[in-house]
Amino acid sequence: MRDGRRTWSIVGLTAPAYLWLTLAVFLPLSAMLYFSFLTQVPFGGREASLTLQHYRTFWELDFYPLLTWRSIKLGLHVTAWCLVLGYPAAYALARTVKGRWRESLFLLVILPFWSNSLVRVYSWTIVLRSDGVLDRLVQWLFPGAGPLNLLFSYPAIVIGLVHAFLPYMILTTYVALQSIDERLLEAAQSLGARPWTVFARVVFPLSLPGVIAGVVLIFVPVIGVFMEPRVLGGRAGTMLGTVIEEQFVQAFNWPFGAALSFILLAVVLLLLAVFYPFLRGRRLV
Amino acid sequence: MRFLGGVAGRAYLALMLAFLYLPIVVMVLMAFNRSSLYTLPIEWDLIWFRSLLHNQRLLQAGLNSVLLATATMVVSTFLGTLAALAFHRYEFRGKALLQALLLPPIAIPWLILGTAMLIFFFWVGIGRGLHAMLLGHVALSLPYVVMVVGARLKGFDRTLEEAAYSLGANPWQTFLRVTVPVILPGVVAAGLFAFTVSFDMFVVSYFLAAPGVATLPVEIYTAIRTGLTPEINALSTIIIVVSMGLMLAVARLYNFAGDK
Amino acid sequence: MGGRFRGALTACLVVLLLAGGAAAQPTLHVLNWQGYGSDEPWAVEIFEQRYGVRVVHDYFSSEEELLTKLRTSPGVYDVVLPNTVYVPIAIREGLLEPIDPSLITNFADLDPTLQWVPEFMDGDDLYAVSWTWGVTSFAYHTGRVAGPVDTIQALWDPQFAGRVGWWDDSLTSVQLAALATGQDPNNPTDLNAIRDKLLALKDQIQVLWTSEDEWNRFLAAGAFDIGVYWSGSAARTQKFFGLPVEFVIPQEGAMAWLDGWAIPKNAPNRELAHKWIDFMLSPEFYVRWDTEVGAPASANLAAMAQLPEDSFNRQVLADPAVVERLVFMKPIAEEQRVRYLQLWQEVKFRFTL
Repeated sequence: MRDGRRTWSIVGLTAPAYLWLTLAVFLPLSAMLYFSFLTQVPFGGREASLTLQHYRTFWELDFYPLLTWRSIKLGLHVTAWCLVLGYPAAYALARTVKGRWRESLFLLVILPFWSNSLVRVYSWTIVLRSDGVLDRLVQWLFPGAGPLNLLFSYPAIVIGLVHAFLPYMILTTYVALQSIDERLLEAAQSLGARPWTVFARVVFPLSLPGVIAGVVLIFVPVIGVFMEPRVLGGRAGTMLGTVIEEQFVQAFNWPFGAALSFILLAVVLLLLAVFYPFLRGRRLV
Repeated sequence: MRFLGGVAGRAYLALMLAFLYLPIVVMVLMAFNRSSLYTLPIEWDLIWFRSLLHNQRLLQAGLNSVLLATATMVVSTFLGTLAALAFHRYEFRGKALLQALLLPPIAIPWLILGTAMLIFFFWVGIGRGLHAMLLGHVALSLPYVVMVVGARLKGFDRTLEEAAYSLGANPWQTFLRVTVPVILPGVVAAGLFAFTVSFDMFVVSYFLAAPGVATLPVEIYTAIRTGLTPEINALSTIIIVVSMGLMLAVARLYNFAGDK
Repeated sequence: MGGRFRGALTACLVVLLLAGGAAAQPTLHVLNWQGYGSDEPWAVEIFEQRYGVRVVHDYFSSEEELLTKLRTSPGVYDVVLPNTVYVPIAIREGLLEPIDPSLITNFADLDPTLQWVPEFMDGDDLYAVSWTWGVTSFAYHTGRVAGPVDTIQALWDPQFAGRVGWWDDSLTSVQLAALATGQDPNNPTDLNAIRDKLLALKDQIQVLWTSEDEWNRFLAAGAFDIGVYWSGSAARTQKFFGLPVEFVIPQEGAMAWLDGWAIPKNAPNRELAHKWIDFMLSPEFYVRWDTEVGAPASANLAAMAQLPEDSFNRQVLADPAVVERLVFMKPIAEEQRVRYLQLWQEVKFRFTL
């Protein structure tokens, strides 16, 4: 009797969320998988049949695999920069800043999330273009230096993405660093460890779950981006994300877009399969 | 040595914050620039704030975003808190699987989720529009809600609940008088998270937007591509000022409620 | 728990209700390029007040996008603006409705050669009414480029390396490359030569623009000096944005396009759509559009006659030698269109290598 009630409790509490996820995530993903095997869109008076052609097209030219690799590289670059820039910031916030300041600075780090991401990306075009903010600053400091035109290039995309995703890394790392027990550090120091050793052997390993969470939160969205490459990249802005988007918006070739999406998904899942044990071990979910 | 570390740390943080705020400062300054082509130097003027009041499209998109984000916040927090409670209270077979199923919305690029939703909703007849976007936004924010509330619950001592039971309280009273107050900060934080996810969500909204029904990010992207005016900067400036105010208010509340 | 649930449901309902929107007044949904005349505030105001309706615009930044919007939003738009290449595709897919010219008073004033254009027809039915025609070519900033420029190869000239703006559109790219390699832009035979010619733009292109607005913004900011552009838009850039540009129809020739208003199948306001088309064709609208803002040539001869002598259209397009160099765009087969899309996507990717 008690057991039955317990089961109903569990079902009642979890069913709503998971039904919603089924309708909004799992069924759509299945539908997209099915679509990727169709010759064309199966509505609007069109006849569609099953085919492997879309997946074959991916491998036929070198263009699509190279494109996928380009997007993966973008993900790696952006994640690496976020790590290099964000970890010290989180460390400084967690360990060298105290009290009221810490809360205020933490809020300041989060606040950019509340400004519209598109306008922020667009503002980067004003900063990075020739005769933009940065160019004028450089001209003012070093008169006679050549024009600085960072816009419509790969670095511009990386800068825009690092800027958008940096707070994620700072946040997750900060949370992990903050939860490290002070006593562990004191113990290590009392055993004669030098500051660097304390960091390398105690602090960093304990902060790893936060770092990994940050890496996942950044890498996954970045390899699928299309908006930032479009706005900031110009002729350097072709990524797998933009090509997939074009299949849906321009070419009306949804099945091919679905196939490309699934290939991208396979890449992501492969990489995450490597990291999942670390995440689960630390019970982040 | 310690002192140097402190100064260096603070200096580095200042540098990072400068980087984070550079485009925001530019965005705000351009709201006051008369030039409609975003040319420098800045000619100070308030015309964009005035003309913003007449821009029906932009205002409607802004309103849609706020309403959608609020609805997402309410639904997502509700569903996610329930699930988090189940995970906290019970051990059961399949729990690990269910927890793993919360990962797809985070572990799958939004582009893939957005296009998958477009395909499925279009095919099945759900169509596009605010209702479709609500479906998507809630699904995307659910894992975060479960995580944040779950983290809060982890620190929650069951013995408090048991004490309440032993004093004669029924499950309802226990829930309302003991559990809720303790997890409330977590729920509020999760709610804000969900609101933010929805309010700033571009990719999924882009694919699920119907003609004439857009959210602010989608409208701004269309504007960037077809015709951008600094009215958008004016609106964004207003939004960030309001968010700053809200953020400060929430921070105050959080502190008074006390941590731990 | 109950309270929260009810609150949630109400919130959802509020969202849905507001999404349903206040559709008290009849609303005309127009799908067009941004900044292409129909969304001029004064024009919208005149129409709204004359007929007591609301006019809502939606935009596309390429004809391909227009097609996708037509396919994925049946029964939403009342009137759309495709060109001669895309109307046949839309007719074939059953996306358009026949138009009744008797409901359009200005139809009689149209240039006779543009009234019953074969690409706009299927049998005896007319599916699009010619509105404006113009030229796709390129324009340059006269302050930064020493003119005159008279060849399309200028876009490939190393002196303009990193100073070129290019429209992100597959069909136009193929057509321009065809002209530059001496092929028929409506039916190029050597796609490999076209691909190579486009790849040669790698060091030339600075800006891949997708809207007139971007063109103006980036030219004004000095991001590029010479770029692919449209004739009417060049007029608008000169007049409305005050930027000194010169539009070039080079010796190799240029593509001429014809835009026509069409009514999608199951349009909610068919009669109102006809009235809109009539208004768009009227001299009342066109003359003010061209003189105050800048526009391509109108298909309405009466309207064109009312333009001042020094208008851009009368000057550039009046020269018969120039008109002879124009190649009107013809429809292409679906496979061709898809092949061009893939080619352009590949070229864009190789630009990044």
